[in-house]
Amino acid sequence: MIQIPSHYKKVTDLHPREEIAPGSALCAGCGGLEGLRLALKELGENVFISNAAGCFTLLSVYPFTPFRGSWLYTTMGAPVPAAQGVRDALDIQRDQGELTEEDDFQVMVVAGDGSSADMGLSPTSAAIHRNLDFIYFCYDNEAYGNTGFQLSGASPYGSRTQTTPVTKDHPAGAEMRKKDLFEIWKSQNPPYIATVSPREPIDLSNKFAKAKILKGPRLFICLSPCPPGWGFDPRDTHVIAKLAVDTGIFPLKEYVDGQVVHTRVPRKRIPVEKYLERQKRFRHLFVPKRQDEIIQKIQDGVDHYWEHYS
Amino acid sequence: MLRVRSHGRGGQGIKTASQIMGTAAFLSGYQSQDFPLYGAERRGAPIVAFTRVSQKTILERGPISLPDLLLIGDETLLEDPQAAPICGSDEQTVLFINSEKDPQILKGSFNLPSLPVTCGLTKLCLQYLNDGMVRSTALGAAGARLTGRISLEDLLESVEIELDVMGIAGQPLQSNLDLVREVFGALNPVTIKEREESALSPSKLMVLEQKEVQDAAPIITATRNMVQRKTGNWRIHRPEIDYEDCNNCMICYARCPEGVIEMDPEGKPVIDYDHCKGCMICAQECPKHSIKTLWEMDYELEPQ
Repeated sequence: MIQIPSHYKKVTDLHPREEIAPGSALCAGCGGLEGLRLALKELGENVFISNAAGCFTLLSVYPFTPFRGSWLYTTMGAPVPAAQGVRDALDIQRDQGELTEEDDFQVMVVAGDGSSADMGLSPTSAAIHRNLDFIYFCYDNEAYGNTGFQLSGASPYGSRTQTTPVTKDHPAGAEMRKKDLFEIWKSQNPPYIATVSPREPIDLSNKFAKAKILKGPRLFICLSPCPPGWGFDPRDTHVIAKLAVDTGIFPLKEYVDGQVVHTRVPRKRIPVEKYLERQKRFRHLFVPKRQDEIIQKIQDGVDHYWEHYS
Repeated sequence: MLRVRSHGRGGQGIKTASQIMGTAAFLSGYQSQDFPLYGAERRGAPIVAFTRVSQKTILERGPISLPDLLLIGDETLLEDPQAAPICGSDEQTVLFINSEKDPQILKGSFNLPSLPVTCGLTKLCLQYLNDGMVRSTALGAAGARLTGRISLEDLLESVEIELDVMGIAGQPLQSNLDLVREVFGALNPVTIKEREESALSPSKLMVLEQKEVQDAAPIITATRNMVQRKTGNWRIHRPEIDYEDCNNCMICYARCPEGVIEMDPEGKPVIDYDHCKGCMICAQECPKHSIKTLWEMDYELEPQ
């Protein structure tokens, strides 16, 4: 059993230094940015970021960067191969004594759910297979947000996206279920996998504190409420993130030593419709006519998941 | 041909406003063309949309650099060098600004080429839609009315068509239609002098040179220089901390996605207004409700 620190107890424990400078063009109220901000507070400045095309393209727009460390921009499918190249180069420098352990970088992939669940999945699987030493941060806003919110492999059943409009023949919008990236990674047995929420900074920071001392592929899936895509006022980002956890739709968990542990189990799960009804992408489930069957199907999916754990 | 350019911020419905004008003009028997232009930036960032209206077939394409009618949906854009909404307008351009201010004062403060037409659309949107933004319908109605070529009936039908696509029906649709009637009634058509249509000429193809990667790829060697970009003018609302009431719990600091709330040496939260985008998460999350939501517009600069 690995001894793992868990030193965050309250928000006042958060690291006071901001690693991401303000001024980026990301949307006001971006949930993913909050997740990355908290993550980098824990990881510090010696992080090399390999960024897949996506919303977070906007983090660094030439000639500006918000980071102290390095940032490399890649295509949607290639953040992990790029990370492999950088890790290899750093390892060679370490072997030749040109780079000390202190100056070494934590190599981190930052990618959206489109890249993580669709385009970049195959090279990611190969990198896990090769036991590449890197952290993977997936900001999951459940669609291709930057291009106008098209369906991705991580879009949930019953949500409206640009490419799954609600029609008479397709009253649910998206009819496919969300890919479970956690389980996909787990099947390859990497050292660490976790889901995190921007609304839970303590939980998030403790998970990054654990992961940063481990070696090998480590995944974080950060639920990223998206004001324009999901259709809610930017001020409600954390309200939506909290509802995702409290309804049980987004379980906060981690996978270490071959065990899945839920780090926050909602005592009494509130009905999923409390989460759905606040977002325009699910509005068709309530107006003009309530679609009980679809709402129930979403609820059943959540109930089925938690049956194993409570 | 009438060329209309609309400026606003992502999320305010500027693209839809241009569509409403285009569709309404089409219903009124004109040829029309409408499209938005924005970079990778999204909500809150400056965006621009174009509408062309003509009795003849429209062959012109691309952005409108010399507008006949310029609609500015957000007056904070006037001092934004990135948006530069006044760019390309002259004395002949009819300016419309969503503002409660005196047109003379606006003209003086922002060095406008002509006296603008103004109407406080934001307040009307608040009244009809319970929404503190210029909505597409209000700006689209203002633009359509100013041209003097579009009837109220065609405008209302156009709004129904465009909002239907967005899934807006029932009471929200009725509120939007009431808002359109109000804006239509509040403004009078203006005389717009259309510019001559110049003959279209093909431009020469540019052959790009293949360069070495170190010359061709953009590399940034500074760190954290993003702070030079001020995003404070994105704000529609302004959060203000009531320090009498604040107990320094740091929740606002923890929740701010931009990281623009800093804890000062005395342990008090301080908001960096140069960069705060006005998402208002801090006001929503403050356990003691010690962060007030104010209108950004009350903080506008005084006339020169």
